[in-house]
Amino acid sequence: MKIVFDQVDKKFGIVYALKDISFEIDQGEFVFLIGNSGAGKSTLLKLILNQLKPTSGKILLGDIDLSNGNKDDVNNTRRKIGVVFQDYQLISDKTIEENIALILDIVNYPKEKIQSRIDKVIKEVNLGTRRFLFPSQLAGGELQRASLARALAIEPEVILADEPTGNLDPENSWNLVKLLKDINKENNTTIIMTTHNNEIVESMGKRVIKINDGEIVKDYNISKKS
Amino acid sequence: MSPLQTTWHHIRRSPFQSLIATTAMFLSFFFISTFIIINSGLSTVLKYFETKPEITLFLKDGLDTATVENLQKDLSSYQGIKEITFISKEKALTIYKEQNKNNPLLTEMVTASILPASFEITVSEPEVLEKIYQNYSTKTNVIDEIIYQKDIITSLLNWTNATRQVGFAIILIIASISFLTMITIIGMKITNRKDEIKISRLLGASSFYVKKPFLLEGIIYGLFGSIFGFLFSFLLALIFQKSINSFFQPITFIDLNVNFYLILLFAEIITGTLLGFIASWIGAKRYIKF
Ligand SMILES: Nc1ncnc2c1ncn2[C@@H]1O[C@H](COP(=O)(O)OP(=O)(O)O)[C@@H](O)[C@H]1O
Ligand SMILES: [Mg+2]
Repeated sequence: MKIVFDQVDKKFGIVYALKDISFEIDQGEFVFLIGNSGAGKSTLLKLILNQLKPTSGKILLGDIDLSNGNKDDVNNTRRKIGVVFQDYQLISDKTIEENIALILDIVNYPKEKIQSRIDKVIKEVNLGTRRFLFPSQLAGGELQRASLARALAIEPEVILADEPTGNLDPENSWNLVKLLKDINKENNTTIIMTTHNNEIVESMGKRVIKINDGEIVKDYNISKKS
Repeated sequence: MSPLQTTWHHIRRSPFQSLIATTAMFLSFFFISTFIIINSGLSTVLKYFETKPEITLFLKDGLDTATVENLQKDLSSYQGIKEITFISKEKALTIYKEQNKNNPLLTEMVTASILPASFEITVSEPEVLEKIYQNYSTKTNVIDEIIYQKDIITSLLNWTNATRQVGFAIILIIASISFLTMITIIGMKITNRKDEIKISRLLGASSFYVKKPFLLEGIIYGLFGSIFGFLFSFLLALIFQKSINSFFQPITFIDLNVNFYLILLFAEIITGTLLGFIASWIGAKRYIKF
């Protein structure tokens, strides 16, 4: 699905978290969202997920205008979006595996394929037997990968990853980015990833949207370093 | 996980809340069942008195056959009469002997001549009794005495109505309390699982998807509450049937009629399920705002 922001403002009280944001992201693009802490990156992702509603402006996801207030539209688009939340959003009394099973159930994934799908994504993010543990028993980086595994499980059209490398060591950070890159390439999945890791952004040679204080200050493509 | 598995998980996660919800439903249906059983017994008692030889006209001694026949004709002209039985002096003696067969001393002393002849009249419309009573109590030339169970019936009727009203009030109160308890407990359970619901919604779960396990939970409490409430009440009826029935002899106060209890169970299961569903639906609507 194509993602279009048209003059979107988001205010919290009198404070602008995002101001006059306009951009288009085509299906299959890989976009880094960068900017200082508090710039408005998470807010932007939350607007895409309709976790927050814009104060003004228009957001289109494919041919759906979320401001029409149709709840089915919201639910249906959410089921096509895999999210790696900055705060993981894993259910605390379900194991990692059960957390993944839940999202597969929500998107109506064929029952007989659920287990093999879980096995596959667990392997992709390298969680191994930690799948049987509860979120409170995992370290930050593991939670991040669990959250990613859940996002990947539904074979989404779009992946929103909010600082997915924030708690990862360099090796795992690179693994994760490579994984996202492969998924982007193989499945034509749109990836929107926020990060502070300049090294990764520089080396990937992808589109970068830079936000400062709620406004887009730069929207450019980095040519890939060889 | 299927919704039912999720529900079972929820029930096990907070067993005390589940226990309270089931107990509340149980109590409601225990009282409802007991009330209905007692009520049906009371109806039997009332019916018994309403259809028994309600009025007995004892005749003066020495009336000729024509007078007696005229009397009978006159009586049968009333609307709502079911049966008029003439009890001759001889028949009265037979009945008397039968009633006192264990006491030969009493029967030896009595002859037919000292027992009065009588008409026993049963009716289908109790109002007739009053008319007959009014009209015949003045005919002192032929009627010796009238035994009319009016007083018994009126006091019985008052008593029954009072019992029904009190029972109904108790049920209404208990049912309301258990209904509110259910709503509150479903609400507490939802609050306990707020994060899970929020996250599920973010992942694209519909509002019904997250409500379903709680609705099922309410239905389960209603289902089990009504079944156990019925069973407990039925058990008490079984245990006390003999002693209660012998107290009300010859009326069968507790009639263990299979159909009656099956219908009662069935009706209560439906009511319980519906009540549980509505309570949890209200609870879910009230507490799931995300
Ligand atoms: N729920 C909220 N209520 C009030 N202010 C908020 C809320 N969420 C974010 N903000 C504010 O909006 C700004 C952008 O936040 P955020 O999008 O989380 O930044 P980033 O992810 O780029 O670090 C911040 O100033 C933050 O304090
Ligand atoms: Mg953020």
